[in-house]
Amino acid sequence: MTDMTREGVGRKSASRTGTFELKSRRFSVLGLVLHSADMTELAADWAERAGVGGFEHEPVVIDLSAVPRAPAAAAEGQADLALDGPAPVDLRAIVELLRASQLQPVAVTGATPEELLLAQALGLADAADEPVPAAAPAEAVREVVREIVVEKIIEKPVPPTPTLVVDKPLRSGQRVYAKGGDLVVLALVNHGAEVIADGSVHVYAPLRGKAIAGARGDTAARIYAHSLEAELLAIAGIYRTTENPLPADVAGKPAQVLLDGEKLLMQPLAF
Amino acid sequence: MTSKIVVVTSGKGGVGKTTTSASFATGLAMRGHKTCVIDFDVGLRNLDLIMGVERRVVYDLINVINDEIKLTQALIKDKQLDKLYILAASQTRDKDALKQDGVERVLNELKEMEFEFIICDSPAGIETGALMAMHYADEALVVTNPEVSSVRDSDRILGMLSSKTKRAIDGGEPVKEHLLITRYNPNRVEGGQMLSLDDIHEILRTPLIGVIPESEIVLQASNQGLPVIHMQGSDVSEAYKDVVARFLGEDKPMRFTEAVKASWFKRVFGAK
Repeated sequence: MTDMTREGVGRKSASRTGTFELKSRRFSVLGLVLHSADMTELAADWAERAGVGGFEHEPVVIDLSAVPRAPAAAAEGQADLALDGPAPVDLRAIVELLRASQLQPVAVTGATPEELLLAQALGLADAADEPVPAAAPAEAVREVVREIVVEKIIEKPVPPTPTLVVDKPLRSGQRVYAKGGDLVVLALVNHGAEVIADGSVHVYAPLRGKAIAGARGDTAARIYAHSLEAELLAIAGIYRTTENPLPADVAGKPAQVLLDGEKLLMQPLAF
Repeated sequence: MTSKIVVVTSGKGGVGKTTTSASFATGLAMRGHKTCVIDFDVGLRNLDLIMGVERRVVYDLINVINDEIKLTQALIKDKQLDKLYILAASQTRDKDALKQDGVERVLNELKEMEFEFIICDSPAGIETGALMAMHYADEALVVTNPEVSSVRDSDRILGMLSSKTKRAIDGGEPVKEHLLITRYNPNRVEGGQMLSLDDIHEILRTPLIGVIPESEIVLQASNQGLPVIHMQGSDVSEAYKDVVARFLGEDKPMRFTEAVKASWFKRVFGAK
């Protein structure tokens, strides 16, 4: 372990004479896991659940490994057999769909050789994380990815989770997003304001706007409010609007919202 | 000497921004402060009508911004108060003519002319005109009517004051916000037809600088081309004078906020 680190340092200082360094990096990116290859069905579902956008041109990897495939093609995975398999996923349409929602597709994973050719034509890399028999150039890319994962584990075992703290009122039309962590708001969140976090959302004042916790699918995220009056509550994509009024034991009172399976639970907080 | 730039804004239209700008600027001048009021509602023009100077407008804000004339040529001096000046909007242009560097130059020139208060009458909406009017503000009067949509729009404007103005962008001291409630009718609040002062405060939580009662005298005054603060003895005039006094740091109790029971005479023979 120690040897690898030292070697890394040595490499860094030796290459400082040039105009650039080619270093391996590890980023956390969104993954779009497809469960269907039917574009019409997919586009409709996307429009309903994610179509509003709000993404900040974040990179996304299109994961095709969960797309249902004909058993023969999946088992053998050879280019000549793929023609007999199911219709390939229409990557071009998916890329357009993602770009329209301010997402930046960068790579595919779990693609058939045929889809991989299309992906390369679209400028997407192959981010395969399991060996899939494919063309030779993709092999080299895969090696790099594996090497990065190893380095990451050695250097940073626990990634820090930053908390974003807001102490000014959030008013109609304002939106705050705590990327990768929790959001703490110490002033009121009014109707028409949005508080979003990848972790939990805490509001120590009236929460009247929209609150979205676990924006990237963390089902353990929660929403805490000193006075729960939110017009929309969402955790990991499960949401409720106040078209049906909030239960009397939490409305306008200190409360927490958590996810129980597919259901949002609202519990009063008594101190 | 320091100059203060005050924007009068609301988001929603028709709530009384121009009426307030005219009376507030007039009130400051009546108290002896050299004041200029600028109409940012380019393309519509209302302030000069309410101030009764529409026949004296030759040049306007856009002429000055475009460097076609000197600022002193466009400033119209009020007939009654020698410390009050009006800078009218252009009716033949649109809001895109308001360029940020031009607005900044005009405001700086007014500061050099030793104006103590520069009042910017914002147009409705949240587009260029409103953003330009608030951009250089030190303080803001947010005009709100006691009804839900007006309060919601004021909330939006308060959010913009704390994020889109020069002070917010530079990260300095935030724009000082004052809430002014206009067209308040205590009797209709009691009847549940209007939001109460408490309801509005609960939503916006912005310090209240005054409450202007709903009154026909506002319409009468604007038809005469007279800032309503000049309508001596009226409750609206008194309420605006209180607003000016509070703005200048005086402690004045709120007036005209309690419901008045009509007398038995009025109830029997009808009001008026």
